[in-house]
Amino acid sequence: MSEKTSRILSRGLLHTVIILIAVLWLIPTIGVLITSFRPAQDVANSGWWTVLGNMFDSARLTLRNYNMVLSRLGVGRAFLNSFIITIPATIIPLSIALLAAYALGWMKFFGHTFVFMALIALLVVPLQMTFIPVLRIFNKLGLAGSFPGIWLAHSGYGLPLAIYMLYNSISGLPKELFDSASIDGASSFHTFLYIVLPLSVPIVASLAIFQFLWVWNDLLVALIYLGGTPDVAPITVQISSLVGSYGQDWELLTAAVFISIVPSLIIFFSLQRYFVRGILAGSVKG
Amino acid sequence: MSKKLIFFLVSVLLAGLFCTAAFAGKTVTVLGTWGGAERDAFMKMVEPFEAATGIKVEFTGTRDLPTILTTRVAAGNPPDISGIPNPGQMQEFAEVGALVDLSEFMDIGKLQDEYSQTWIDLGSYGGKLYSIFISADLKSLVWYSPKAFSSAGYQIPQTWDELMTLSDKMVAQGKTPWSIGLESGAASGWPGTDWIEDIMLRTVKPEIYDKWVNHEIPWTDSAVKRAWEIFGDIARSDKYVYGGAATALTTNFGDAPNVLFTSPPRAYMHKQATFIKSFILNYDPTLKPGEDFSFFPFPSIDPEYGTPALGAADMFAVFNNTPEAQALMRYLATAGAQEIWVVQLGKLSANRRVNPSAYPDDLTREAAQILASAQTFRFDGSDLMPAAVGSGSFWSGILDYVGGEDLDSVLKRIEETAVDAYKK
Repeated sequence: MSEKTSRILSRGLLHTVIILIAVLWLIPTIGVLITSFRPAQDVANSGWWTVLGNMFDSARLTLRNYNMVLSRLGVGRAFLNSFIITIPATIIPLSIALLAAYALGWMKFFGHTFVFMALIALLVVPLQMTFIPVLRIFNKLGLAGSFPGIWLAHSGYGLPLAIYMLYNSISGLPKELFDSASIDGASSFHTFLYIVLPLSVPIVASLAIFQFLWVWNDLLVALIYLGGTPDVAPITVQISSLVGSYGQDWELLTAAVFISIVPSLIIFFSLQRYFVRGILAGSVKG
Repeated sequence: MSKKLIFFLVSVLLAGLFCTAAFAGKTVTVLGTWGGAERDAFMKMVEPFEAATGIKVEFTGTRDLPTILTTRVAAGNPPDISGIPNPGQMQEFAEVGALVDLSEFMDIGKLQDEYSQTWIDLGSYGGKLYSIFISADLKSLVWYSPKAFSSAGYQIPQTWDELMTLSDKMVAQGKTPWSIGLESGAASGWPGTDWIEDIMLRTVKPEIYDKWVNHEIPWTDSAVKRAWEIFGDIARSDKYVYGGAATALTTNFGDAPNVLFTSPPRAYMHKQATFIKSFILNYDPTLKPGEDFSFFPFPSIDPEYGTPALGAADMFAVFNNTPEAQALMRYLATAGAQEIWVVQLGKLSANRRVNPSAYPDDLTREAAQILASAQTFRFDGSDLMPAAVGSGSFWSGILDYVGGEDLDSVLKRIEETAVDAYKK
């Protein structure tokens, strides 16, 4: 066997394995997708795979779930609320984290080590522990049930990981860059703006994806700090109220999931070219 | 970054600030577990109230009610009015002074006239009334298909012996008597606790049942053990249960009654509360209550204890003593409000003044009749126990026992968690 054929063979094997894993990984999602187009009675009677045999039997497929979800949800308002919550709750922590990571990486100040250790310690605090004390403070400040309150909460929960990841990437930039900048007379802020910021785009993009998805999919934090009134409730809260207290009408969830997933997919695909690069930039120190 | 993008982001920030500021007016916030059709029914019930008073009712439904409510109460930010998961939790809130005494603004004499003493007692703590019940579910029911029963020539069993004779007859004819479904996500096992509670009520005095619920007798007591054995005789038997114990463990409680309505029926009887009606109709909307599906009372076991009623109920309490919350609470207690609510959902009303003709069908009327006329009524015991037992080891104990574990070791384990849980 020549070297070439053996390489093709091992490639083929690798690809088969990868495709197999991808298919396995996708099966539940495909199941949910198919279920979302099935009438409630069929869902109760038979598995989603029974549709596969007669894909185009229109009697067994319906848009009813989507209609119900869109009419019940008041989707416009819920989507808007989700964006109002998610966009600042992504930008605020990332902006702060960038500055903090730069300071921790390249500036010398008193308590540097202490701040860094505190940050690492905060990474392991479960956010559920903070609900009662933080909500008490929010009550005093009048932030409970308001958007600025939940921006602050999500920023707080997102910051430790964001600073840590950015610190790893920014502190790994070559020292010569900073030396030459300072020789050219750049201030710390100029260095940040014209050197650190452009070089951090990949890692910032991947962190933005993480933070966006986390806030977009969050239910518990929103319920605690915002409550569920239609003026402020994000889409996750509205979706969870589609289901009865005993889990009735759960088939509506399958449709609601695919409606709520759309913005996440758009964000992911528009930022994904930075994604892998960003993760590598964070993990492998220069 | 382009100017457009920055403009967009700034406007999102401003929109968020603006929306928050614009929110004002006379409102009352309500927290509950309901979603979907239940939430719609609740909003329908408060519609006349909103129209009459101009007060806006802002309802939030979450199945995480215990977590959200406990957190918000502890943080000093409770909803004005909230559904309470169970009487045990109401007592905990009353103890820390989180609840408003209803006698401050409601006519207790009128409530006593409209509600039976059982409901008043369950809503009280330390001699004060803290919550009212807006609806109830009756649990002591066995669902069946009248058509399947009549075509096979089966009679409705009046006693436990008749029930077991009927079960054996079905087995002898190659049929399966029961369908059981214990799966319910994180709450799996709870349908089994209803079995144990109903059997307990039929094999011991109500006072012993209360002692068991309050952990004044241990789980290893012979009375408790007997109830589990009677349950196990059915649930652990491959011939009595459709698909055997394995199917009982993996079938969702909402899907379990479906096999009663296949043709031919794959099982004939299913024990579940009144709310299962909506699941049956969801499975097949063409089924007619009373004709295609019906129920009979879970039969008596020891004749001296009769056929007591086991139930659960939806209770409300006031956390913020605002005039709006007072007005809504007074409204929710009325028969008029509850009629709207029960008609939508097929639940039973707790208010005696509700007109029986308001119920959507004879079946629901009959359940209301059973509930109202029951000699003995007891609240779902697992709802009254501390969470570590009532929604913890009791649930998992059911699964372990049906799964084949030895009864003594199951009861011993529940007893161990109970000793810790009741200490507080």
